Amino acid sequence: MPGMPKSVFPREWAEHALARAKQAGVDYADVRVEAHEHESITVENGRVRSVSSNKGDGIGVRVLHKGGWGFAATPHLTRAAVDRVVRDAIALARATSVLGAGARKLTPLEPAKAVWVSPHTIDPFSVPLGNKLDYLLWASQALMGHDAIQQATTHMDCYKRRKLFLSTEGSDIEQTVIESGAGLEVVAQQGNEVQVRSAPNSHHGALAQAGYEYVKQLDLVGAAATAKKEVLELLRAEPPRSAPSTLILHPTQVVMQLHESCGHPTELDRALGQELSYAGGSFLTPDQLNKLDYGSRHVSIVADATVPGGVGTFAFDDEGVPGQRTHLVKEGRFVGYLSSRESAAHLDLPASGGAMRAERWDVQPIVRMTNVNLEPGAGTLEEILRDVKHGYLLSTNKSWSIDDRRLNFQFTTEIGWEIENGKLTRIVKNPLYTGITPEFWGRCTAVGRKEDWQLWGVPNCAKGEPMQIMHVGHGGSYARFDGVSVGSAK
Amino acid sequence: MIGQTKLFAALRGMVKLAKADAASACVDAGQRLVFRFAQGGIHQDVLQERLTASITVLQNKRIGIASTDSLSAESLTNCVKRALLIASHAPPAEAALILPRRVRIQFKEDYDPPTAHANAVACVELIRKQMLRCKGAGAGLAGSLLAGSEERAVVNSEGSAAYALSSVASVKCVTQYRSLSGFASGAATSLAALGVDGVLERALRQCLHRRDPVRLPLGEYAVILGPEALAEILEWLALIAFGAKAFQERSSFLAGRMGERVMDPQLSIYDDAMEPGALRTPMDWEGTPAQRVELIDHGIARGIVYDTTYGARYDHPSTGHALFPGDTEGPMPHHLAIAPGEGSQEDLIRGCERGLFLPRLHYVNGLLNPREAMMTGLTREGAFLIENGKLSQPIARMRFTDSMLRAFSDVRGITAERRLIADPHTGSGCALVPSLHVAKLAFTGHSEP
Repeated sequence: MPGMPKSVFPREWAEHALARAKQAGVDYADVRVEAHEHESITVENGRVRSVSSNKGDGIGVRVLHKGGWGFAATPHLTRAAVDRVVRDAIALARATSVLGAGARKLTPLEPAKAVWVSPHTIDPFSVPLGNKLDYLLWASQALMGHDAIQQATTHMDCYKRRKLFLSTEGSDIEQTVIESGAGLEVVAQQGNEVQVRSAPNSHHGALAQAGYEYVKQLDLVGAAATAKKEVLELLRAEPPRSAPSTLILHPTQVVMQLHESCGHPTELDRALGQELSYAGGSFLTPDQLNKLDYGSRHVSIVADATVPGGVGTFAFDDEGVPGQRTHLVKEGRFVGYLSSRESAAHLDLPASGGAMRAERWDVQPIVRMTNVNLEPGAGTLEEILRDVKHGYLLSTNKSWSIDDRRLNFQFTTEIGWEIENGKLTRIVKNPLYTGITPEFWGRCTAVGRKEDWQLWGVPNCAKGEPMQIMHVGHGGSYARFDGVSVGSAK
Repeated sequence: MIGQTKLFAALRGMVKLAKADAASACVDAGQRLVFRFAQGGIHQDVLQERLTASITVLQNKRIGIASTDSLSAESLTNCVKRALLIASHAPPAEAALILPRRVRIQFKEDYDPPTAHANAVACVELIRKQMLRCKGAGAGLAGSLLAGSEERAVVNSEGSAAYALSSVASVKCVTQYRSLSGFASGAATSLAALGVDGVLERALRQCLHRRDPVRLPLGEYAVILGPEALAEILEWLALIAFGAKAFQERSSFLAGRMGERVMDPQLSIYDDAMEPGALRTPMDWEGTPAQRVELIDHGIARGIVYDTTYGARYDHPSTGHALFPGDTEGPMPHHLAIAPGEGSQEDLIRGCERGLFLPRLHYVNGLLNPREAMMTGLTREGAFLIENGKLSQPIARMRFTDSMLRAFSDVRGITAERRLIADPHTGSGCALVPSLHVAKLAFTGHSEP
């Protein structure tokens, strides 16, 4: 194919495993051979705490046979180990098929042949370690220098993941994903008061599907000065008043609001009861699809695996389904799920939503978020603030909790600002807000403009058994909500 | 299972190859067979082999850490080279790498071969049997079953060589009957000791009721926390308070309060990685033998856990609680326990005039205000109202938001029986936990509008 990047992946073991599965006569099989690389650097209080590097590879084989799924994986890339993994996967499929689930349907899929590399300018693994350390040490120093500062942490993470996907349907897809990120956190204490500020965001800073150029433009040193100033101000700040208030969420908190109250409940495997033993279910049951008013007309939310820079962006998911952009909520109406070929077929949907992702080669893909984004509206922050007589602007998630059906949520943020007559006034500490998902989104009265829209990477979304930690993305601008229960975590 | 001989040979080879001033190498390996089931079928099943080998080198006072997911000679050699390369570029470390000297450990007592190599057909039959039991009771069943083995080995340049091999099994059952649901879990070092029938029985008892859940007014309630619920709170207490990092940051509620009363005198919390009944692990990832640490002793703040890094900072020996190399969360207790009290769970319920019985909590978060151990979370399956010493009716989901220091300052009873709570899917350790009756817990929200 013209313009397609040249394949660099060794194909031997994937092709061997697929051939073995075909020989065994299974109904369907796919094989993933993956190679991962992760470099992690942490600086604490001006000293290097840890520099670590992980490299690994392995193979995972998934088989569907007579209505039973089987998956087996090994890090041992030898002929004997690969043969054993294929045998194990088939044996598991045979064993589970006896439970009588019957033939499992998968949505149809046009097999693809592709090689894709995520866009990046500077391969982060080509950057000398000394440059990275200098950057983090400099930012760490900028956080220190006050008696109240107890801990100043700066960190950087770079990931490279190469994977080859082959299936008995004829898919042959090779993808290379590069991610880079960095951040900081400062903890200050005075008496019994302990406060924290993170930048550019909490949940391990900022992470993007990009090269080292992304880290360079984060300006951690500038962010450190702001974080230090704010954390010291928080030690002296008052909490917000407990009352129903107008609430404006900063894009850094829109991230977690989307993640918990929209991303997880729109996972179709949850809605079908397949996550009950761990993560729970969903209030967005199939009978609500295209019927439920999830939010106000200002609320449109998409699952977008195509947005540049998102850590939930890919060319194909781990079933070989092309990455796509689909509405989960459109002008307030619940209209779509994150889905797989099997779960989509369960609802007689014409195609998978392309959301099957596996953390590594050694786990089965399951339905995961891609980039779940709140579509931008029109107003500037100034315009969104203008009509607010009294309220709060809250930024940077600190704690998060939501019930097992994803209805009652409670969040605290690291910092808030009181709004009086359309203006931001004092800083408030320990702000907390709580609500019921569709009621809360129904109170959304404005979403900010595209120019303020920010895309964040969340590197720690946990789901599944065995638990898989996935990188997912969320984008949003400022969002305003009326009559929200605001209080303080004191 | 890879085996002690092969693992020691690989790790000794890494340490020797490094030719560093000091080096420590370790392997975390295992195999697990997992089934997840719902709606009468198995929707996921995994037979997974996993392995991570890591080396930490100290060269000219500079530390480098590297890891690999393969034991091949090429991978191990490259791994050592990367660690040395990192060390060559790193600034001097704040403290020397203090390695445990001449530690020799070999622990295989908790290894059960039939569990480590569980038969898939037998596991599916076990699941099918439970599904039939539920069907017979008119209930639905979802859950998971895990069986497998764990291997851990540590070798260092100070002559230490430690190896632990164990097996593990766990089961979770979520039962559904009309609008009600129940939950129970089990964990053990063997499938035979798991007691799947008993686990399902407990879950069924929670949901087989005729009355629909009642919506209670918000406010304070006496609460009896079952072992699964209490374990979730205990895990958060460990995260926010019992490790040296939180102590150093002074975000731990124990910072500045050592020797002071912080909880009810009936409560003693400790970490003991070798306590019978736990998922035992004799050493940490630095090879230091795991010590029993009293964290809360009859309500008094007594201790925290250390690794060598934080031990050096505080001039305190490591207590054997280091995490895997490269993890910067600091030392963490992973074998928590609450000392048993007297009586049974039924006794606690009989002793409660009006309150709530909560067998399981959902999505507890302890980051609201760690200094006060302020936590929030929700009730989930099996929550009941207690009236006049009896479980009277199921309750609708509610959110609690309260300081655990406050809640645990007025304890009305602790059971003698403790249950092992562990989720090997997440690898976050285990806890030996009784049921606990606290006088007050503040409930701040409902789930439905």
